[in-house]
Amino acid sequence: MTRERITAAVAMLAAVGMLRSAGLHFVSEPLHDFRRERIDPRYAPAKALLPPAGEIGYVSDEPVATGPETVETTSAGTRLFEQAQYALAPLVLRYGDDRAPFVLANLADPASLAELARERRLLVVAEPFPGTAILRPR
Amino acid sequence: MIALALLAIGLCGAGLVAAGFPDRPADGTDRALRICVGAALGAGAWSAAYAAGRMSGIAAGLKDVILCCAGAALLLLGRRKPRAAPSAVDPAPRWLWALLVCASVVAAASFLEHDWRFPDGGWDAWMVWNLRARFLVRAPDLRTVFSPNLLFWAHPDYPWLVPGVVAQGFLLAGRESSWIPELVAAGYGVLAVATVSLALARLHGARWGVIGALGVATLPTFAIFASNQQADIPLSVYVSCAAALLMIAGASADRSLRLVALAGFSAGLGTWTKNEGALYALCLAAGLLFRTRDWRATFAFAAGALPAVALLIFFKRYAPPNDLARFSTPATLIAHALDVRRWGELLLQSLRRIVFFQVFALWLVAELLVLAVWVRRLPGTAVGTALFLAAVAYAPIYVLQPQPLTWVFRTSVDRIILQLWPAAVLATSLALARTTART
Repeated sequence: MTRERITAAVAMLAAVGMLRSAGLHFVSEPLHDFRRERIDPRYAPAKALLPPAGEIGYVSDEPVATGPETVETTSAGTRLFEQAQYALAPLVLRYGDDRAPFVLANLADPASLAELARERRLLVVAEPFPGTAILRPR
Repeated sequence: MIALALLAIGLCGAGLVAAGFPDRPADGTDRALRICVGAALGAGAWSAAYAAGRMSGIAAGLKDVILCCAGAALLLLGRRKPRAAPSAVDPAPRWLWALLVCASVVAAASFLEHDWRFPDGGWDAWMVWNLRARFLVRAPDLRTVFSPNLLFWAHPDYPWLVPGVVAQGFLLAGRESSWIPELVAAGYGVLAVATVSLALARLHGARWGVIGALGVATLPTFAIFASNQQADIPLSVYVSCAAALLMIAGASADRSLRLVALAGFSAGLGTWTKNEGALYALCLAAGLLFRTRDWRATFAFAAGALPAVALLIFFKRYAPPNDLARFSTPATLIAHALDVRRWGELLLQSLRRIVFFQVFALWLVAELLVLAVWVRRLPGTAVGTALFLAAVAYAPIYVLQPQPLTWVFRTSVDRIILQLWPAAVLATSLALARTTART
């Protein structure tokens, strides 16, 4: 194996890699994928109504993975939870805690708020953005 | 404060390089390599010092002054050294340079496109790394940052080199601008390519430098992971810096213990970047000992890694246990270890991943072919052995994980390959360069 052959082989591999990257980023994704929304705007209105630090409760109409056995089936709920945690830091969100003085409802389906509040005996304090609401125990 | 922070990074990095290298740079290639190593080590040390300061109550400004003084002292002590041997000469053909320019443009454009499509970075960026940076900036009490009440997805057990850099960027800018983690991500992406390329150019000439740069920059998933604002590319930088320094030390007749210690320092920063970094540091030390039988060099490597490892051990007082410890019991560990189906599933998943064109194009297939056909017949090296050990170690690590194996493999294996890829390109290219030099 000469260095010229190695150089040619690497150039071929690099060209294939470049074509794959260019195809993905400039052909496939623009046609078939969408731009993700920024996370913060959804939670900014709720943030203004919540305490700046401490812990609050968190409820949702989508389950969140709390252990290894459910990680494969709870992607949507886990994403909602973690995005809320990211936006509202340094508040610590306690998943499933519906007896905290402040409870954030983070919903995939905004229409499910009334049913969720009734089931968990919570009172809606504010619904500052579709899909997010601040509640407190009845 | 911004000027002081930049001075702290610059002086600290330059001081570490001056203290570690036994000679002065010989030429532009050598100087550029040292600047890259210095930038990576300076930024890492700046972040590690921030963490040490936060955990022991030292103000960020005082920490920067201390770093400046320490860096300046190391620079002064590192003067009056002999000039290094000049870099090897093996010019790259013009068309190869042109290909590198194309590859750089495609990688940069891919980075920007991915950044536009995912404005908050990849999933782990907002779930772990930038979340941690926000906590560090917004919460004065570290017990909040690493609260046991955070859901395990936030991985409060992870070390925080990258969040430390981003958080300090936020504090210096006075606001949490999205361009700060993007800039950090881009900086580490450039360093990952440049370190490998310049180390190869230093040891075997420009042709091999360009080959190394192409090997890293045209891996399709490289630009994506660099853009994701996660800790995998920074970890790859520290692993490849350690590998490059070990190789440069090994290339000289008298293996410089100071240079080996600097390699250890870089590997130590890897342990402060991600939990996997501890495995890579151990593997590099084991590879060094196994291939050289040089206890002094191994101790020098360990001594270099010691500051960051001590920081990691100190941090673990705050940190809750990781997933493996939290969700596993002796019974589940034994059951997973003895489950033949899990081992078979891991083997099948690994074989499928090697030919996963969308992510790796043909690079992974080519790498394994080169290793199997050529490199295995060559004398082993410390870095090659370390990479082999790390790859082998991941087999039981995967099998013992508490999560479903398919899920944990699918969501993590690409990042692990990325963490090791620049060092693998470096080690493989160096082996090929030595082979062709002999023919």
